[in-house]
Amino acid sequence: MYNWAAYVSPDNMEKFKTEFGVETFTYDVYDNNEVLIAKLQGGASGYDIAAPTAEYVPGMVDEGFLQKLDLSRLPNLEYINKAFKNLWWDPTNEYQVPKDYGTTGILYMKSLLSKIPQSWKEFYDSVKGEASGKTVFVDSMGDVFVFPLKMLGFSANSVEKAELDQARTILLDVAPHLYALESNVYGQYMKDKTTSLTLGWTGPLGQELKAEHDSGEAGYITPSDGTIFWLDTWVMLKDAPHPNAAYAWLNFIQEPEIQGIESNYNLYATPNDKAREFVDPAILADTAVFPPENVIASLEGSKDTSGNNQRIDIWEEFKQAVGG
Amino acid sequence: MASIAPGAPRTGPVNNRLRSNLLTTVLLLPAAIWYAVLLVLPLLIVVIFSFGTRAKNGGYTPGFVLDNYARALSKPEPFIDSLWMSAAGTIGCLLVGLPIAYFIATRAGRRKSLLILLLVVPFWTSFLIRTYAWILILGPGVGLGTFLSSLVGGGRVDLLGTPFAVLVGLVYGYLPLMLFPLYVTLERMDRTLLEASKDLGAGRWATFRQVTLPVALPGLVTGSILVFIPMMGEYVIPQLLGLGRTYLMGNALVTDFLDARNWPNGSARAVFLIVIMLVTITFYLWFVNRGRRTREVSVL
Amino acid sequence: MTAPAVPAAVPRLARPSARGRGDRLGNLVEVWFRAHSALVYVFLYAPIVVVVLFAFNNTQGVATRWEGLSLRWFEIALHDPVVLKSLTNSFIIAIPNAILSTIFGTMAALALQRVGKRVRLAFDGLTYMSVIVPEIVIALSTLVLFATSFDLVESITGERPKFGYTTIIAAHVLFNTSLVLLLVRARLTGMDRTLVEASADLFATPWRTFRQITFPQLLPAIVAGFLLSFTFSFDDYVITTFVSGPGSSTLPLFIFGQVKRGVTPETNAVATMILGITLLTLIIGQILLTWQSRRAGQKKGGIAAVVIER
Repeated sequence: MYNWAAYVSPDNMEKFKTEFGVETFTYDVYDNNEVLIAKLQGGASGYDIAAPTAEYVPGMVDEGFLQKLDLSRLPNLEYINKAFKNLWWDPTNEYQVPKDYGTTGILYMKSLLSKIPQSWKEFYDSVKGEASGKTVFVDSMGDVFVFPLKMLGFSANSVEKAELDQARTILLDVAPHLYALESNVYGQYMKDKTTSLTLGWTGPLGQELKAEHDSGEAGYITPSDGTIFWLDTWVMLKDAPHPNAAYAWLNFIQEPEIQGIESNYNLYATPNDKAREFVDPAILADTAVFPPENVIASLEGSKDTSGNNQRIDIWEEFKQAVGG
Repeated sequence: MASIAPGAPRTGPVNNRLRSNLLTTVLLLPAAIWYAVLLVLPLLIVVIFSFGTRAKNGGYTPGFVLDNYARALSKPEPFIDSLWMSAAGTIGCLLVGLPIAYFIATRAGRRKSLLILLLVVPFWTSFLIRTYAWILILGPGVGLGTFLSSLVGGGRVDLLGTPFAVLVGLVYGYLPLMLFPLYVTLERMDRTLLEASKDLGAGRWATFRQVTLPVALPGLVTGSILVFIPMMGEYVIPQLLGLGRTYLMGNALVTDFLDARNWPNGSARAVFLIVIMLVTITFYLWFVNRGRRTREVSVL
Repeated sequence: MTAPAVPAAVPRLARPSARGRGDRLGNLVEVWFRAHSALVYVFLYAPIVVVVLFAFNNTQGVATRWEGLSLRWFEIALHDPVVLKSLTNSFIIAIPNAILSTIFGTMAALALQRVGKRVRLAFDGLTYMSVIVPEIVIALSTLVLFATSFDLVESITGERPKFGYTTIIAAHVLFNTSLVLLLVRARLTGMDRTLVEASADLFATPWRTFRQITFPQLLPAIVAGFLLSFTFSFDDYVITTFVSGPGSSTLPLFIFGQVKRGVTPETNAVATMILGITLLTLIIGQILLTWQSRRAGQKKGGIAAVVIER
């Protein structure tokens, strides 16, 4: 298996090994989608299962990296919420099994702000105003572009030149006001009160910021002018050496009870409806982790837009301008 | 640079020379094979990539275009920033490394080796963990900046994200590559030479310039090349300690290869970097060696 | 590189050392050297102290705040099969890599003394090239190279070689061979040749000359090369990521992956254990050797005498 680190509960791995008599279960890790894809494109092989973010699935299918799944061997897929089926990245649900999902939004520290931004528009004003020098953006191109594009009312996945030109102006406008462009320890900066706003993911609320989150000091806003959701998926690689074990795993991991343990372990929302019964009620009630149905419906799925040169140029220009 | 080749000690019979040549070939072979297969071939791949175009889903499709080079040349800023940063880092390593290399090299045998071993032990702790420790030390919370400023009655000081933080990280990370070449050349230095120089009435500075420096020179040259060049491609340190506010050549390569998955663009940038560096090194070596009487020694 | 212009034939006088002469400036310089060196050690170990401290931190998860003393993270690390596996892998890769690189690099450095100018220039060029190519570039192109040649092997033999230890070691050996080569050459350049010549004049065989004269003189550089190669392989992330296969992930890969969710005290605990074992080995070795040499009535001893001293 080739996966993100600490992204599967060790208990579940043990259970799987004993239940199915799988002896050599190797869990290798990569630290971002780009490395996974680059390795596959370079010709790496030998893994059964990987866990890319959904937007990369079509490209991987296109390149012939993935196997079509025999759905009759995966009965537990019936528990998956309809909202995560038949999406653009896999219209026939044959190449991936939804793993968990989340959104891109705004993390805040209440006491450091006079006003908590509810939309990207307000976020823009805060970054240039009271949160100047105290804002972090995650170092992820797709997620950063969501902010200017959604604020302007465009699609977060836009590749229109005129729209991107406007987005560029906004990004370069806020760049000097950023404290950091960083995806790993942004929660810590907020905990230390070095920063007050982050364009990021919900992860830190269950980790570094857990105490602050419980007391209501730290929180997460799904911006009212819209955002994207990401969905991590399980896929089976084309040359999987152990397809039987891979099928066993894909079905096993969607057992409601097992999936519940997963959610409790990694604090991301499960798309498996039946599994919700087994998720810790406190986590389940947390709208930052499990967005309400109406919010889910309003979200835009993220797309792989890295082939657009204009985006890359803007991204590079933005990176050079960060911090002034 | 002239040499005595082949290095057989005397003008012996022909089969002696043959044996000597054979020995040379055998000695050189493993490294030569490695260079040919794992350096020359990958470099060829990079050059081929640099003329191609990005495939639909990222990566590379064969082609022959020059756009990638045009693009690489149109974005020189990360390269220039990298040059400054690497130069500063190299000087930093030298200032930190030279005195301690000299100090250790002049100790008595037993302590010498312990001191040297203690220099590498920190590097057996993962680079990333060490860098995270620096984040704490340089950060505003319990860090160095705040501590120092509190001594003079100042408030919180956040050194993270500054070029200084990146510089500290670079010097820290690359110090062994400067220390070891310096140490192995200085260690060879004959202490009697120093004393002789002193006895002959030479001042400290003159002794340093005329005895220590010439002995240390090969190590100094090797060390500064080993430090300067990899710094040019470094991307994790600017990312973590520079908080993404410092954007260097290595970061630009990551943007090309991973964010954009545009291998041809990345390759063209890399070729551009490699060519400039190669020219620089050649010039540097020529400059350092100029006017010197060369004496390559046969040691076998 | 060239031989330094060492002032030759300076008369050697039997004099006490400079310090004995009450040279105040000399003492001052010596004190400054000591202070500087001490500061460098502080600089090198400061982050390590932080790492060790946080390994004992009693927190639930990621934390950069002190929350009490605890050994739980050591227990967790010792029971984490992924951590143990990647630590073992790191050794399985770093040790053969260091041995091979040291041998290849030293051999090549010696050979380069015996070849013509052209061959030497070409070789030097390649050596510098291997240092110049940014890691991510060589990593990706090496991956492509391996994959392509594996396709070839598969089409001929019907069996596809796998990515794993071999590919990682092969890729690491390249950079590390250059490293050793440069170190040994820096040492060789301008090395005292009178002994070598004397030995040859006395009709010693080349092998004997090498064993008794050249090798001892080169030993510090060889040991330094070995240590550096081990260190760089043990801690390499970029190249290893790209050419690793199933089951060959090393410790740096594990740690980099984990950072997505923050550095936990678990990784600090692993680092602390490595550090502890290393330092313990050093100290025990030092004590044993001192004791042994004292028994043998020698003045010198310690790891020094065995490892680095010539």
